[in-house]
Amino acid sequence: MHVTTADFEALTPPARAQRRPAWHRIALGKLAPWIVPVVLVAVWQISAQLGWLSSRILPEPFAVLKSAWTLAASGELWLHVKTSAWRALSAFAVGGGLGLLLGLFTGTFKQAETLLDTTIQMIRNIPALALIPLVILWFGIDETAKLFLVSIGVFFPVYLNTFHGIRSVDKGLIEMARSYGLSGWALYRDVILPGALPSILVGVRFSLGLVWVLLIVSETISAQSGIGYMTMNAREFLQTDVVLVGILLYALLGKLADVLARTVERYALRWHPGYQ
Amino acid sequence: MLNDRTEHREVQTTASEAGRIGVRVNVQGVWKSYSGRDVLKAADLHIEPGEFVAVVGRSGCGKSTLLRLVAGLESSDGGEIRFSGEDGISRKADTRIMFQDSRLLPWKRVLDNVALGLPGGVGKAEQALQNVGLKERGREWPAVLSGGQRQRVALARALVHDPELLLLDEPLGALDALTRIEMQQLIESLWQQRGFTAVLVTHDVQEAIALADRVVLIEDGRITLDERITLPRPRARGHAAFAQLEEFILSRVLKHPASRPDGALGDVSLHKTVNQVAWAV
Repeated sequence: MHVTTADFEALTPPARAQRRPAWHRIALGKLAPWIVPVVLVAVWQISAQLGWLSSRILPEPFAVLKSAWTLAASGELWLHVKTSAWRALSAFAVGGGLGLLLGLFTGTFKQAETLLDTTIQMIRNIPALALIPLVILWFGIDETAKLFLVSIGVFFPVYLNTFHGIRSVDKGLIEMARSYGLSGWALYRDVILPGALPSILVGVRFSLGLVWVLLIVSETISAQSGIGYMTMNAREFLQTDVVLVGILLYALLGKLADVLARTVERYALRWHPGYQ
Repeated sequence: MLNDRTEHREVQTTASEAGRIGVRVNVQGVWKSYSGRDVLKAADLHIEPGEFVAVVGRSGCGKSTLLRLVAGLESSDGGEIRFSGEDGISRKADTRIMFQDSRLLPWKRVLDNVALGLPGGVGKAEQALQNVGLKERGREWPAVLSGGQRQRVALARALVHDPELLLLDEPLGALDALTRIEMQQLIESLWQQRGFTAVLVTHDVQEAIALADRVVLIEDGRITLDERITLPRPRARGHAAFAQLEEFILSRVLKHPASRPDGALGDVSLHKTVNQVAWAV
């Protein structure tokens, strides 16, 4: 026996209209990641109000918001944020830029790797924060010291990932491009750099997170402005709510930097099946 | 794809370039060894301009090595490889290679991949894409194409430069059987139009006979068979002569005698072995 078209049509279920998920499901999907933080903040607020949490240990969220508002209104907050952001940016530019250039250099030329890589690996394992006394001796306590400290920390992730990225470009692609007449700069621009880009961006994202960690510490060395200075000052005067404002600001700025990096990644890596 | 007659006709009637542009290839006494093991021992191969030669052999026999030496991707340990035109004067050949994996740059769109290393604009690249039937996929990323489509883009990329010598290193090995047949027809028609010299390395004897003027077998680093295929094109796979040739070459590759049923023995299944009737002896 064989199945005719009529039998077949009788077997298939009636076509159902494509149902879009209900609007409340979409809203729930978007809000779900925020449930835990909101609940935590609510618990925090309630326990502070009920007196379970001493205001010296952890002030309530409203107090934190109020002091943030006061600082913002007086213009102080903006000054500190601007200074810290400027320090972070310049240190990232210096450290990241140097890491990128050196990574490209040692990745491309075998002789450069032989000469420089061991030295760089040795320096990498020195904790940046342990260098603070030396840094103060060498650079004093003004901006250069802070720049140096943060740059050193930012340098290594970018360097390592750039080096690895260049080395792990698919050799088959390089061979193919060479056989099609690409060489020198054209080969670099069209094959090696784009091939290394996913790794380089990983290094950039990593060091963007590291910048803020190192910035906090370096701003305690002795500063006249900046979020770290504001936080340290507040600690001296037991203004724990201002301390929390400082911490939250660091978190927010770090998140902002990561969002920027993600946007760059989304554009630069839109060809990559793993990033779609 | 090529069963669509309009498209097939388009491919056939695309204006061919200035006549035969193939190059003569002379491989003389070439030696190549890897880590002490001799892969090619005094290999000799002569290819006329515009000829289509297929190189077959077991895996590891050195056919890909020979291709890579001709391509200049590696250098031989002895012997020489010369290219010359009709005049016989030694010169460099304009060579393009098609690899087993398409090796498209994943960060460039399809059209930019085809235009790789091409001086001038993307006009020729668009034409090349049309020749392989992928003109409307020019703006896409290689990652969204299927394996067969990627190999077609790689073929377009190789041919957009109008090479004198096209080297194919098992380009269809990773494709499914139907796509493979379509690609073979595409390669054959483009070769007939343009007249370049082609060297195809393949493990598929049927593919070799379907496409090539000559089938060359490499065994133990030497060329041990050079069979000219005189069947008319396009080659019909079901044809008796085709099948016989395939059987002959395959048995040479596999090194066992070709099966030829011997009617004098009667029905072989009725014959018993000595062991089976030993009880009666």
